[in-house]
Amino acid sequence: MSCHNVQVDDKALNKPNKILLMGNPNVGKSVFFSELTGINVISSNFSGTTVNFTEGRFEVGFNEYTLIDVPGVYSLTPTSEAEAVAARFVESGALAVICVLDASNLERNLRLAMELTRHDIPTVYALNMMDVAKRHGVDIDVKKLEEELGAPVVETIAVKRQGFDKLIFHLEALLMQAEMEKFVACRKCEGCPWAAARDICNRSCNFNGDGCENTRGRRSSFLDKLGDKMVKPFPGLPIASLVMVLLVGVVVFGGRLLRMPLIMLVDGLIVPFFRNVFEGIFGFFAGYDSVFTYRYLFYDGGFQTGFRVFVDGSFHSVGYDVYSAIANNMPSVFLNVLIGEYGIFIISFQWIIALILPYVFAFYLAITFLEDSGYLPRVSVLFDNIMRKLGVQGGSLIHMFLALGCAIPAILGSRAATTKKERRMIAVIVCFAVPCISQIGALAALMGEFSWWMPIVMVLFALLMFVLVAFVAGKVIKGKTDPLILEIPNLLLPNAKTYFRKLAIRMKHFLKDAEVPMLIAVFIAALLAGTGILNIVASNPQVQAVVSGWLGLPEEAVVSLILGIVRREMSVAPLILLNLTYLQAFVAGAVSLLYLPCLSVFGILAKEFKIRFAIAIFVGTIVTAILVGGIINQIGQLFL
Amino acid sequence: MINLYDAEKGRVFQVASVPGVGLLENIGLRVGARISIESRYAFGGPVLLRVENAFSVALGKDIATQISVKEVSTR
Repeated sequence: MSCHNVQVDDKALNKPNKILLMGNPNVGKSVFFSELTGINVISSNFSGTTVNFTEGRFEVGFNEYTLIDVPGVYSLTPTSEAEAVAARFVESGALAVICVLDASNLERNLRLAMELTRHDIPTVYALNMMDVAKRHGVDIDVKKLEEELGAPVVETIAVKRQGFDKLIFHLEALLMQAEMEKFVACRKCEGCPWAAARDICNRSCNFNGDGCENTRGRRSSFLDKLGDKMVKPFPGLPIASLVMVLLVGVVVFGGRLLRMPLIMLVDGLIVPFFRNVFEGIFGFFAGYDSVFTYRYLFYDGGFQTGFRVFVDGSFHSVGYDVYSAIANNMPSVFLNVLIGEYGIFIISFQWIIALILPYVFAFYLAITFLEDSGYLPRVSVLFDNIMRKLGVQGGSLIHMFLALGCAIPAILGSRAATTKKERRMIAVIVCFAVPCISQIGALAALMGEFSWWMPIVMVLFALLMFVLVAFVAGKVIKGKTDPLILEIPNLLLPNAKTYFRKLAIRMKHFLKDAEVPMLIAVFIAALLAGTGILNIVASNPQVQAVVSGWLGLPEEAVVSLILGIVRREMSVAPLILLNLTYLQAFVAGAVSLLYLPCLSVFGILAKEFKIRFAIAIFVGTIVTAILVGGIINQIGQLFL
Repeated sequence: MINLYDAEKGRVFQVASVPGVGLLENIGLRVGARISIESRYAFGGPVLLRVENAFSVALGKDIATQISVKEVSTR
């Protein structure tokens, strides 16, 4: 494993008033972050790096600082990308560090602390999870630990917000002191940080009874027991299937529920509003300008209607009559592009807001919960044996889960994979067989229209494709895979505030990041349909042979295949409102699933790998999608 | 001394040697650490360990066979 140079947003690194929030993975850091930065704070999530970090405004006394939630690391000696990011933050110079220690695993946590003291940054320690430590029979003498570390140690229960005032109090004092004189940390170790950590741990802990001596867990809480069960083959595997079914259920039914008010809003209010506005404006200008130019463009009928409307001064109240008059009487390309069946102002609302958004939200609801609960590493362990046979280690499943949000962070995140083969495998699997969040939204909308079991059939099909793609890729891509080394965190109920915060941030980012490309796709759709290009393409005999003959889809599917290049969900969206048969819907879903990921993914692939690799994936996905889709259709036709 | 992959479930072992993999050391699996096997997975799957009764870690078969352990006690 080498330490690569990670591109962290230099803006964040260079900020002068940084306070770093650091600690091992899974010590509850994110709860600290959302509690300390408060609700009135806009936090930004810097994606685009492999390992995301979050920053937020943090007030201490009268001063304002930037609190940076550094990725959880075991050490500052980097063995992974995450640790490289953390090390760069520490080296970039921070005003202070809040180091969160997991009391139930003090020794390892102190090891990171020991490494931190070498950098002479004022540090406050938050001793979290004391209750868990006590349950495991470890009593920590906080006073003694404070002496040993030569820095304030505050006992906290993050989820109950206990100890935060004291933490901020100490932090303020440290910051003031550091302003007056250069801070020099109390160094306990110049040599091995492990030895120093062990010494401190031994001197400040009382191990009750057989405490640390006993390695057979005294894990008695319900969540501990459930967590242990989830990772055993039995009942872990049945639980995994149950979780999958629940996930589909939440997405399909939750999405449907959320959709109802949105559909009413869009179809009842927004779409008619824009229709009226544009018909009005159009009617007005068609008449007004026609004297000079439009006379040559529009037929007389359109002109007269527009003119009449203008003369009557009632252009704001014109309704469908004018629209149909104009539409019938002149080449109303503009009007069609704007408010026709595929008009920008129609489909951008109908597709994005009424169809896709509710499912995206429902999916984020479920997946954020799973992520924060510590369940995903358990699944990775359960399936490591199968994955290893296919040519990737189970740990890579976590990247693939990430891809259910978006393929881009997953492909970037795969930098953390330790071998080239592993990286390529992740990229291939993600591009072929893992749908992104808005595609899931669109697929759920399409399948959910039919029955409750269609989404499940689709999921099973996706799993089958996942395995097949991994199997083939594992054979084709040469190289080796490293064995799994993965810590299994305690299972926990996500903290409500942190959970909703994360959810809000995600939705915001979805809207921000996906909006522009989606609108571009919508614009292209509108142009294609409005100008009639679509009809020309769709009536081409070769295209018809593929779309209608081989795939058995209605000719509108041409739009899907064209738009699917730009955005993944657009390979489904145009089909949702059509009256498809079960077989057609399934074929469309299968094609969309396997079809190429969006243009942005192509860009990332070309950047992260060789351009040849990117092109191979693109050609491969198109061919596979049409091939597999067609086979399903042909076989389906035989039986139905 | 046996390799960790073959260590018996439910007994306590002490790590005798580990291959030089940075992540193993950082995670806290190093010479002297006490471990017990919690579960083992079929078809060449990983082993799940409890280390120092403080945390759990899953190790792939390939790496687990490179770690040697000796038994500490049988209770």
